[in-house]
Amino acid sequence: MAEDKIIKRREFIHTGVRFALGISLAGIGVAAARKTTAEKWVWQIDPAKCTQCGRCATDCVKSPSAVKCIHAYEVCGYCDLCGGYFKPGVKKMETGGENHLCPTAAIQRKFIEEPYFEYVIIEELCIGCAKCVKGCSSFGNGSLHLQIRHNLCDNCNECAIARVCPSDAISRVPASQPYIIKGDFHGGTKA
Amino acid sequence: MNQETKLKLLKQIILISAAFCILVAFLLIVNFWQMKKSNPLESQTIEALVQRLAVDDNNEELRKEIRSFDLLARKAYFTSAWQVKTGAYLLFFGGVVLALALKIRTDIQRKIEPPETITDDPMMNKFVSHRWLLVTGGLVFTLALLSAFLSNDYLKSYDPGQFVDTETSSQTETIEVIPIVESVATEKGDSAILSNAVEPVPQAVAETGGAPDTPKTVVKLAKAEDFKKNQSTFRGFLGQGISFHKNIPTNWDGSSGTNVKWKISLSKPGYNTPVIWGDKLFIAGADKTSRVVSCYNRHTGKLLWEKEADNIPGSPATPPKTTDDTGLAAPTMTVDGNCVYALFGTGDLIAFDLDGNRIWAKNLGVPANHYGHSSSLITWNGKIVVQYDTAKGGRMIAINTANGDFIWDIPRANKVSWSSPTLLESKGKMLIITSADPNVIANDLETGAEVWKSPVMSGEVAPSPGVFNNIIFVSNEYAKTVALDAENGGKVIWETDEYLSEVASPVAINGLLFLATSYGVLVCYDAMTGENVWEKEFSSGFYSSPMIAENKVYIIDMSGVMHIIKADRTGTIVKEPELGEAAFALPVFADGKIYLRGKSSLYCIGE
Amino acid sequence: MKNIGHKIVFLSFFVLILVQANAQRFPKPEFESGYEQPSPTTPEPRSNALEYLDVLILFASLSLASWLVIKRRSRRGVLWLSIFTLLYFGFYREGCICSVGSIQNITLALFDPVYKISITVLIFFLLPLVFALFFGRTFCAGACPLGAIQDILVFRPVSIPVWVRKALGFIPYLYLGLAVLYAATGTDFIICRYDPFVGFFRMDGPYTMIIIGIALLLLGLFFARPYCRVFCPYGVLLNWMSRFSKYHMTITPAECISCKLCEPSCPFDAIEIPVSEKVRTQKVLRQNLKRFSLYALLIPVWMFIGGYAVSSSHVLLSKAHQDVYLSELLIAHPELKSDTKNLDIKAFLESGKTFDELVANASLIRAKFKSGGWFLGGFLGLVIGIMIMNQFVFRTKTIYEPHKGDCFSCGRCMDYCPVVKLK
Repeated sequence: MAEDKIIKRREFIHTGVRFALGISLAGIGVAAARKTTAEKWVWQIDPAKCTQCGRCATDCVKSPSAVKCIHAYEVCGYCDLCGGYFKPGVKKMETGGENHLCPTAAIQRKFIEEPYFEYVIIEELCIGCAKCVKGCSSFGNGSLHLQIRHNLCDNCNECAIARVCPSDAISRVPASQPYIIKGDFHGGTKA
Repeated sequence: MNQETKLKLLKQIILISAAFCILVAFLLIVNFWQMKKSNPLESQTIEALVQRLAVDDNNEELRKEIRSFDLLARKAYFTSAWQVKTGAYLLFFGGVVLALALKIRTDIQRKIEPPETITDDPMMNKFVSHRWLLVTGGLVFTLALLSAFLSNDYLKSYDPGQFVDTETSSQTETIEVIPIVESVATEKGDSAILSNAVEPVPQAVAETGGAPDTPKTVVKLAKAEDFKKNQSTFRGFLGQGISFHKNIPTNWDGSSGTNVKWKISLSKPGYNTPVIWGDKLFIAGADKTSRVVSCYNRHTGKLLWEKEADNIPGSPATPPKTTDDTGLAAPTMTVDGNCVYALFGTGDLIAFDLDGNRIWAKNLGVPANHYGHSSSLITWNGKIVVQYDTAKGGRMIAINTANGDFIWDIPRANKVSWSSPTLLESKGKMLIITSADPNVIANDLETGAEVWKSPVMSGEVAPSPGVFNNIIFVSNEYAKTVALDAENGGKVIWETDEYLSEVASPVAINGLLFLATSYGVLVCYDAMTGENVWEKEFSSGFYSSPMIAENKVYIIDMSGVMHIIKADRTGTIVKEPELGEAAFALPVFADGKIYLRGKSSLYCIGE
Repeated sequence: MKNIGHKIVFLSFFVLILVQANAQRFPKPEFESGYEQPSPTTPEPRSNALEYLDVLILFASLSLASWLVIKRRSRRGVLWLSIFTLLYFGFYREGCICSVGSIQNITLALFDPVYKISITVLIFFLLPLVFALFFGRTFCAGACPLGAIQDILVFRPVSIPVWVRKALGFIPYLYLGLAVLYAATGTDFIICRYDPFVGFFRMDGPYTMIIIGIALLLLGLFFARPYCRVFCPYGVLLNWMSRFSKYHMTITPAECISCKLCEPSCPFDAIEIPVSEKVRTQKVLRQNLKRFSLYALLIPVWMFIGGYAVSSSHVLLSKAHQDVYLSELLIAHPELKSDTKNLDIKAFLESGKTFDELVANASLIRAKFKSGGWFLGGFLGLVIGIMIMNQFVFRTKTIYEPHKGDCFSCGRCMDYCPVVKLK
């Protein structure tokens, strides 16, 4: 039976190729497995590298961006004239719209005691434009800085902001250490 | 419900949901277009109003207007964001309804059609496919090839010197005039260290990393005698401003050529003072395109070699911004008989041997300095000392002359400065004395350790310390002139704010201190008490420092007139010869000769 | 008075030192009002356990899809499963990570010595392929959100001429090859970047992405599953696996009676119709054999041409790399250095890196593209050579069967089969 023979031969070849494919898959698996970690990786901004270009606000796949300004109170000087809060050259330190640097008024200024003020970021309003970060780094301690908020981030396979970041400030960090916060920061209240 | 009504209903659902989707999509597009056209958060109106308020600060009306505008802008932004979000959801649900209805409708309407008779000829199909596959493959590869012809590989056309500013750099050339040093032997000449330094140090082996064809040689360290014979550093031997040469000319005229042995024009600007070793004279120049070290035969003025300081790892692509009165070649080089060492405003430090072979080079980090780095190098006992006071993270550095390695590198608390280090032997140690805001500091040359410091200076310090016996003299405009006791932890001996130097460094000899101001006063103080012995006012100011040679003060003013004055309590003016062009560098002395760097030329004077 | 002055100078110097030690211009005040300093919040990323749950759900949906289509033979089941997949992996997980994109992570991990991947990514890459090796492309049927969104919107599919399908069938290979090349050189993840549907899943995205997505979905009403058939790079791998799968689904549960009823059922033109002996004559057979041999011999030529062509296009291909782009921009337009509006140039100049370093790196990348181009072009040449050669292979067959490589195992055809399996 020539037909049978042909079919058998075909089946034999198929099985052989299947094994070959299976083995090559296993090969790729093993080769890649040597680079695997049980750790999850997430994207984060290194504030030391960030140049406050403003692309975090425009290039994140989320809108508004998953990048928000956070305040490292530990590093803050609690200045009255805050370079992150006020527009440069402000004359009267009032909290009116003519004075804030933040386009969405996401920074709250609270009086503590003479002559110190506390600045709190209202995250719902922040769009990650880094205007305040630039102000704070230029005139102050740089306590305001950008971070990717992991409750908002989709953790894309390739971060759309990282691709366009001019200073390569965004890289993957282990999920167990998901933030790079300035100052002596070892954790905080979880939100 | 019968089939008929069902279909009718479905049709209506489909129509309505489709219309709904289209409407929402349209609204979303309009929203997008609006946001693109004018983002409320980047409103120009508010910016303009704020500018107006800056001028008219008490206009409450305007203030109110801005606030309401600001509120409106933020409202518009957040409303629009909300609209997009809601629109997306509406579109999604509309799409789901539409898809479902369509699905059900097609399912209901679907009839099993009678099987068609197959007209396709599989062989024909395959034959046609093979042709199209040929076309596809050919097309893809042709496009790939075409791209190779059409795209220009700019990386290949890159030449390393290209990325430099081609903008017109003002071609100011700076010249530091070196005064003549008198052959006054100080006690220091006999001291232990000075004679110790003479001994060759065997560990110093020149590394030839940069130039593969340079043979490895054991470097012999120059002796103190050699340093005295050659004005090899900014302000001569130990940077103290005193020359030991004889038969120094006192009479010349640069424009008529009287007593000018030779004159050459310089290719690149620079404020550094030439340095001499043996028969060779070295000078550095720089503009935005390149930085060069040139070597001349000092007897004939013939150019022996000229080498670029390029391809230095860490060197910035764009040189840092400098002002025209500083430039990129302000630091004076230093030479020790083996090599000539040059530092540029880019932070590039490079060593050439005396024949122009590159021995080593490194970048010390681009100096953050708003005028440009100007502190000169000095070398002693196999070390190059660099006073690297920058706006952030100032350092004192000692570098091995043989291979360019750091011997020590210590941070400094001083602010940015423009002065150069002076060496002084005290209590058996060679000290590096530096003046900057706020501290005058003495570091041990061997270890870098801080021996003492004295917080007496302030402002933008440019004058380097002067020395007499163990007394240090520092001065700066808008600060004060201070004499400090080097043996006694830098204790203040006397101070005055009568005359203050802006750029020129003080020099002292015979118990007298000479100080030159940028507004043309040369003043002589008693070195021990600070008493004003004499003062003379000239028509042009001094940036070049006074030098002492053959017991006379040589100081060239900015117009190029050299004032030669007896270094004693009489202050007799010996001669005032003219160079005929502006001068900022110090005079360089050799036996029977003076070398002067004018704004654009180099002169050799000899009688 | 002098002494006081000195003290002040000294004190201010002391303060200066303190400030520098803290690298702070304005030291933190010491509050007297008992103010307590808040701490920045740090919301945790999605927990690792949930990532493993994703793997589990992937495994479950692959198993369920395989069972539904091979054992249970239920199109309806597969449909509901794909809706679940669309909702879970699509709208809930927002499309990341997906098996399609994982190709790039695996590639980069193999080429970049420092790049690490998490184990879940590797499983996402391997699992569907392993399933395809045994059960066919059940991943496409029930576990791929990109496939699901298109599959649901198949409205009135038209049959596409064979030659169009064959010619378009080359694109996924090209896409796969480029994706691997770009990932291996660390340039970009183009599969993710040009993913057309992820914008829907996130209900957000760049407008170009949304518009391409809508266009593809509209096209998909008639040209079923356009992305899967014309672009999907992962489909190439699944196709290879599935061709040699052990238990691929069949149209009929028992013996095919060649009733032709299933013929129009497949929206993807993946049903192979019987080929009878009579279409071939001896003359035609001889001619075919000749052509087959000729094209088989031409394969190395294709590979060489491909390698040469793609390698010589390395200049263009490498322009996608940021460093190459920036160096070329600056070499070609040195005047842009002073353009403060160009953020990339500004950031580069501020970084303190020298231009020589940048150009050296760019040249290195370009060299990688040049050698990588030979591999990519050779691979593409091989593919096109084999594809052409295969056009002269004929097999007689008497029954209706799905094409094991192209079939998505969606199960539509099963409903059309009148044959019932007798127990």
